[in-house]
Amino acid sequence: MSHPERAELDARIATWMRESDWCEDEERFEELALALFAYQFENCPPYARFCRARDATPAKVRLAGWRDIPRVPTGAFKEMALRCFPEARTVKTFRTSGTSTAKRGELHLDRLDLYEASLLATIRRFLFPDLDQGERMLVRVLAPSPAEAPDSSLSHMFGCTVDQLGAAGSGYDMAAGKLMARALMERLAEAQRADRPVALCGTAFAFVHLLESGGARAHACALPAGSRVMETGGFKGRAGERTRDELYAAIEQMLGIPPDRIVNQYGMTELGSQFYDSNLQTPDGPRRKLEPPWARVRIIDPESGRDLAPGEIGMIAIHDLANVGSVAAIQTADLGRLCAEGGFEALGREPGAEARGCSVAVDAMLGPAPARGSGSAPARRSGPAPARGSGSA
Amino acid sequence: MSSLRVELEQRAQRLRAAGTRLQSRSASEVLAVLCDLLDAWSDPASVWRTRLERELPGATGFSPEVVREGLSRGLAAFTGDRLRELVARELRPGDLGFPLTSVLLAGSIPMPSLLSLVLPLVLRSPVLAKTASRDPVSPHVFAETIGELDAELRRCIDVVSFPGEDADCSRVLLSSDCVVATGSDETMSEIERRVPAHTRLIRHGHAMSVAALGPETDADKDLSDAAVRLALDISLWDQLGCLSPLAVFVEDAAGGRSEQLAASLADALAHAQERLPRGEIAPASAAAIAHERDEARMRAAAGQRIVVHASADTSWTAVLEPDAQWRPVPLHRFVRIHPVDSREALLEALAPLHRHLACVGLEGFAEAGPEIARTLCERGASRVCRFGEMQSPPLGWERGNSPLCRPLVQPA
Repeated sequence: MSHPERAELDARIATWMRESDWCEDEERFEELALALFAYQFENCPPYARFCRARDATPAKVRLAGWRDIPRVPTGAFKEMALRCFPEARTVKTFRTSGTSTAKRGELHLDRLDLYEASLLATIRRFLFPDLDQGERMLVRVLAPSPAEAPDSSLSHMFGCTVDQLGAAGSGYDMAAGKLMARALMERLAEAQRADRPVALCGTAFAFVHLLESGGARAHACALPAGSRVMETGGFKGRAGERTRDELYAAIEQMLGIPPDRIVNQYGMTELGSQFYDSNLQTPDGPRRKLEPPWARVRIIDPESGRDLAPGEIGMIAIHDLANVGSVAAIQTADLGRLCAEGGFEALGREPGAEARGCSVAVDAMLGPAPARGSGSAPARRSGPAPARGSGSA
Repeated sequence: MSSLRVELEQRAQRLRAAGTRLQSRSASEVLAVLCDLLDAWSDPASVWRTRLERELPGATGFSPEVVREGLSRGLAAFTGDRLRELVARELRPGDLGFPLTSVLLAGSIPMPSLLSLVLPLVLRSPVLAKTASRDPVSPHVFAETIGELDAELRRCIDVVSFPGEDADCSRVLLSSDCVVATGSDETMSEIERRVPAHTRLIRHGHAMSVAALGPETDADKDLSDAAVRLALDISLWDQLGCLSPLAVFVEDAAGGRSEQLAASLADALAHAQERLPRGEIAPASAAAIAHERDEARMRAAAGQRIVVHASADTSWTAVLEPDAQWRPVPLHRFVRIHPVDSREALLEALAPLHRHLACVGLEGFAEAGPEIARTLCERGASRVCRFGEMQSPPLGWERGNSPLCRPLVQPA
């Protein structure tokens, strides 16, 4: 890394990601967030102009605190390359899902190790909290492999999981856009016979496809204790015709994995970190989304821009120190609320205007082009597409 | 079978019976009652109008000021005389409606609902109306007004409410001989799938409107005056109606006029907010506005010629765009101003919207105005008018370029 300031930032953040003891160290977060802002302000010209227009410079923000760092809307990732390094140094670009004509959001990376350290530390903690160091588990993925979908951040995440945490027999059950339901169910039946717990990972829509597949329905099984499901994707309250509760009940019926062993992940292409349901990590507490200590989630009042108290509904804002090479402060258009016990709840994007008028937003009228930075749901309705959108609750 | 469904079926039966008696009355007698009703609603001093003004804000979320002004402008042309003209234009002696017409209302703007309820009755077809979730008021006031004017006609309209997802109850409504439905394309497709093949289905899909400013408004005063009237069109019904302009195209080959209009429109929207405060807004809508504003500011930071004019909260927003490219508009008084180089560029920019275009507000084109209006109408717009008049369509406005009464006539 040629930029000494950047190298030091990477090292300090990577150190935090490697620590097994996750504690909310506000002072450490503040210090790193301010240093990262100074770096991104200096090296990402459009972001610097955006900040100056808001009268926010590193010197001013240092006095006010990290919460005053200007947040970039997720939609901006569709409009411009938000990177702090020359294009030639790009080693990976992840893209949001979307139609062939719609613009897609892009996250450019100049190194993958930090990105992967973040995702692995988080998935290990929230999906595999019971695995000892070095222990592996059978992982089946209802999404294409990273080789087949190289620009999908979701496939990349699943790829890292299979590589680093998957036991023999782990792999992908989707290819050429098709879920191979029968083959998957045969593998699961084999796992059942061998009493091998399984981790099944995929989008909510991929699970809907699995549940609706005739071949799969005919091979319902009861997976061994210790099995689990991780689902993610643009739910917006419903996947196909199912609510999330209905989906979980159907998964339990078909695979024998109860809802308290099913974890939802909230993530988006524009972020280096992901957020998981708490139920495997802290099974005794209420289900809520938890973040790693190098990321902070705030709920913002769209009218005033102020932070909202637990229980109040507002926009989800994320400050993610894993986004070193792009912009760390992100404003989503997703709704959520903080939980009194810590963590947050993601509520998606409920329709607002449609019920009251006979007009309709231009984007909705012009067809499937994704609205408000959301690339996920429209594409996923037609099938279990693997790419992640901007915000998927 | 749910008890509500059984009750609905019984009510539909009663309506059919009442309809048989209604069809024995003369068309002119029934029309006279409905004309009286419209005259009562368009009279600001009438008890019915007062009641609408009192009850609609709480039910719909619009501010009392918006409801008052919106009704005043919207109902001004909804008079008995205008209804007689429409009937004379479209109907022939002896025309009759269906034995039962179901009307599925949507949205919270009363004028379209009013017309949807009046027209089947004009044809002496009894009406089973399902209220919109956000306007449970207007249909009931309508039925009560009829009750005051004509007890027998009152028996020919019944207003029901049930959740849209109640398939059992929906089936009863969709089994009428004629179904008039308003809603999104998605809703319309779903209804179309579910109505029996023999049922006459009349669809009113969602639509949108835009404004276009020509080069003939050079004086600052003219521009400012145009902006004030445009701000009224945007602010009424909080930009949620299909006649609300979502975007303004400015023919601006020389540059500068679109900036001027954006600034004037921002001032006018701020003043409109004082006089006609925006109503309640869902967190998701507020979030969408905040997000679109930030996204525009970010594009500006990347070097695009964009100016964001906005209130401190989300009550109004005017974004000057660098080009004619369509972008999401989250409604609730959020408008984009697009410069275009020429008339051809204007028409090209509107091309993707033809299927859904309702009204185009047009000003500043001088002698070329009528020709542009004609072209827009040929390409799908059903109404072209001056700024400030977009929310006051005539009663006979053929939304969707289709006759209003004829589709409701039962084939002989």
